[in-house]
Amino acid sequence: MTQEVKRFHPAWMMFEVVKLMKNSIAIFLFLFVLKFNSTSEWVIWGRYLFLVGIGWTLIMILLKWVFYRYEVVGDSIALKEGIFVKEHRTVSFDKIQNHQTKTTFLHKWLGLTSLTLETGTSLEEAAVYFPVLKADEKERILSRLENKNPETEENTDIKVGQAGRKIHFRSNKRDSLKASFTSLSFLAIFPLLSTIYFNLADFFDVEDTAEGAFDYLLLHWWMLIILFVLAMAISVGIGYLQTTIKYGNYEISDDEARIYIKKGVGSTSSFVIQKEKVQAVVVEQSMIKRLLGLASVKLISVGAMKTEEQETSSLYPFMPKQEAYQLMETLLPQYPIQEKMDRFPIKVLWYKLLVPYYFTIITAIGLFIFKKEWIWIAGIIFAVTLITRILDYFFTSYLRQENTVQIRKGGLTNETFITHYKRIQQVSVEHSWLQRKFGIASLYFQNRANPLHISELHGVSREEASAFFNWFKEKRKRLVHRNKKIS
Amino acid sequence: MYITMNEPSEKIANQAVQVWRISNTIGHGIALMVLGILLYCSEHFNWYSWIQISLFVLIGLIGLSAIFSIFIEPVFLQKTWRYEIDEEFIQMKNGRWNESHTLVPMEKVEFVRTEQGPIMRKYGLYNLIIGTTTSQHTIPAIPAKKAKLLKVKIAQLAKVKESDLAEGEED
Repeated sequence: MTQEVKRFHPAWMMFEVVKLMKNSIAIFLFLFVLKFNSTSEWVIWGRYLFLVGIGWTLIMILLKWVFYRYEVVGDSIALKEGIFVKEHRTVSFDKIQNHQTKTTFLHKWLGLTSLTLETGTSLEEAAVYFPVLKADEKERILSRLENKNPETEENTDIKVGQAGRKIHFRSNKRDSLKASFTSLSFLAIFPLLSTIYFNLADFFDVEDTAEGAFDYLLLHWWMLIILFVLAMAISVGIGYLQTTIKYGNYEISDDEARIYIKKGVGSTSSFVIQKEKVQAVVVEQSMIKRLLGLASVKLISVGAMKTEEQETSSLYPFMPKQEAYQLMETLLPQYPIQEKMDRFPIKVLWYKLLVPYYFTIITAIGLFIFKKEWIWIAGIIFAVTLITRILDYFFTSYLRQENTVQIRKGGLTNETFITHYKRIQQVSVEHSWLQRKFGIASLYFQNRANPLHISELHGVSREEASAFFNWFKEKRKRLVHRNKKIS
Repeated sequence: MYITMNEPSEKIANQAVQVWRISNTIGHGIALMVLGILLYCSEHFNWYSWIQISLFVLIGLIGLSAIFSIFIEPVFLQKTWRYEIDEEFIQMKNGRWNESHTLVPMEKVEFVRTEQGPIMRKYGLYNLIIGTTTSQHTIPAIPAKKAKLLKVKIAQLAKVKESDLAEGEED
C-alpha cells in the first residue's frame, strides 16, 4: 500500500476559526458594541481594519489547510507547509523521543484527537504537531512509528501497542479524593467568590447590601457558621470535580518497550515514552505530600515539554510513596530508588559555612556607601545565608549504586533525582583551594533534558569524587568494548 | 595527586601564553580606552561626580585584572591545561586554584570543529571545539597539524552510534 500525501482533517479549519473568534472577541466588542454610537474617525477606520484583518485571516486559514500536507515515508514523516515560502521537513522516527495525544471536549464531540511527536532538538520546530486528526489516522501514524516496519502496516486493525500491555495502576474515587485534598484545590472557592463579588460590585450596589447582610449575620452568628460550612462543602465539591476532571481515570501501563500514561475525564490526554528513552527519574514530595506519605514520580525525557504536558509525563502525582516506588521498580527496573541515603560528612558543613559570603559583603559595602542607616539589612542577609547553608547541608544527600546515581535536594519540597550511567552526558569533578583543605570536591553531571539538566553536588569527599569519576569511566568503557566485540 | 584517577597527558602549545597575552592586552586596552574617553567626557561636560568616581573605580579594577590576565593567568592556564583523546573519551583538565576535570564519552559527541583567530593564525594554532547535545568544550591552542588530525580522529570515533550500544546492557 503506498502512502498518499495527506492533509489535516477539514475540521482543523473550524478549530482555527473558533480560535480566531476567541482571540478577536474583545476587539469586536470594543469596536461594535461599546463604541456603537461613536462616529469618531479612528473607530470607523478600526472597524474596517478589523473586518479586513478577519477576512485576511480566514483566507490564510483556508490556504494553510490547502498547503499543509504530511506523508509517512519509510521510517520518517515528511511535512510540507507554507503558503508563500514553501517548507519541507523530514523527521526521522528514530529521533522521536515521546508522543502525546490530547482530546478536548470539542475533539471528542467530532471523534477527533490531536497528536504531538516530540523530537529531542532544542530548536524551534522540535515537535511535529497534528492539532486535528481522525482517531484511526492517529492509530495509523502511531503504528508506523512503533513498528517501524512498513510490511506490517496491512494489519491496521491491530490497536497500537495493545499486545502484551499490562496495566499497573488505575486511579479510583479514593485516589481522586486524596488528590483533591492534597492539591488544596478546595481552596479555589475563595478567589472564585471574590471575583464574583467584585464583578457584581461593578454593576450593582452590592457594597451596601453586603454591609446590611453582614450586620444581620453578625446578629445571627449561627447562620454565619451554617453559611461557612455550606461554602466549604461546595468548595470541596468543586475541588473534587476539578481534580477528577484533571486526574480522574488515571491509568499507567507498560509493555516491553514503552510506558503509557493516560488521564482525564471528558478531555483526555495520554503520554507514551519508550523505556529506553527515559533520561532520568525524579521523585518529588511537597510538604503536604510528605505529611500524607504521597509522592509524585516524573519521567525525564529529552523532548521539550510544556508544563501541562510535563504533568502528564509524571506517574500519578498523588500516589502513596511505597506504591510509587514499587511501580517504578516494575516499570523501570534499571532505576532502583533507594529510600535511605547518605548525608555528607560533617566537615562539609564547616566548609559550606566558610565559603566567602560574597553577596553579604557586597550589600554591606553598598549600604555603607549609599545608605548607612540601613546597614542592618546586611545582617539579615547574613543570617538568611547562614540558615540556607545549614539547611542545604542537612537536606542534600547522595547515593551511587551499581548503575545509577541518586541525589536528593531541597527542604520543604524535596526532590530525588536518579539517573543511569548511560544517560549521563558528561561528568566533571572540580575542587577549589578551600575544598582541598577540607578534602572534598564538587561533582557535576549533565543529563539530556529540555532544558538541560545539570546536577551539582558540592562537598563530596575526595575519595568518592575519584570513585565516581572512575566508575563512570569504567562503565562507559565496557559498554564500548562489548559493542566492538559484537560488530 | 588530590584525585586518584588517570590524568590526561597531552599539553597545549607553549605559544598559547603569547596568544593569550596579546589578545588580553588588546581587550584590556580597548576597555581602558573607552573608559578614558568617558572620563574625559565626564570632566569636559561636568557629569555627576559619582559617574567620575565609578569610572575611576572601574579603571582601577580593569588595571588589576589586566595585570592578572596578561602576566599571571596565561602561564598558569598553559601549564595546567591537559587533555587526552582516546577511543572512548575526551578528558580535559585545567585550573590551578580551581582544578576541574571533565570526562565526555566519545559517543556523546555531536560535532567537532577547529577555529582560528588572527593572533592564533600568526602562531599557527587552532582551537578544537567539541560539542555534545548538552554542552560545548574548547581545547585551546593546538598546533595546526595536530588539530586537524584530532578533528578527523574524533569525527571518526564519534560515529559509533549509541543506539548500537544500547543492546545487551545491564550486567
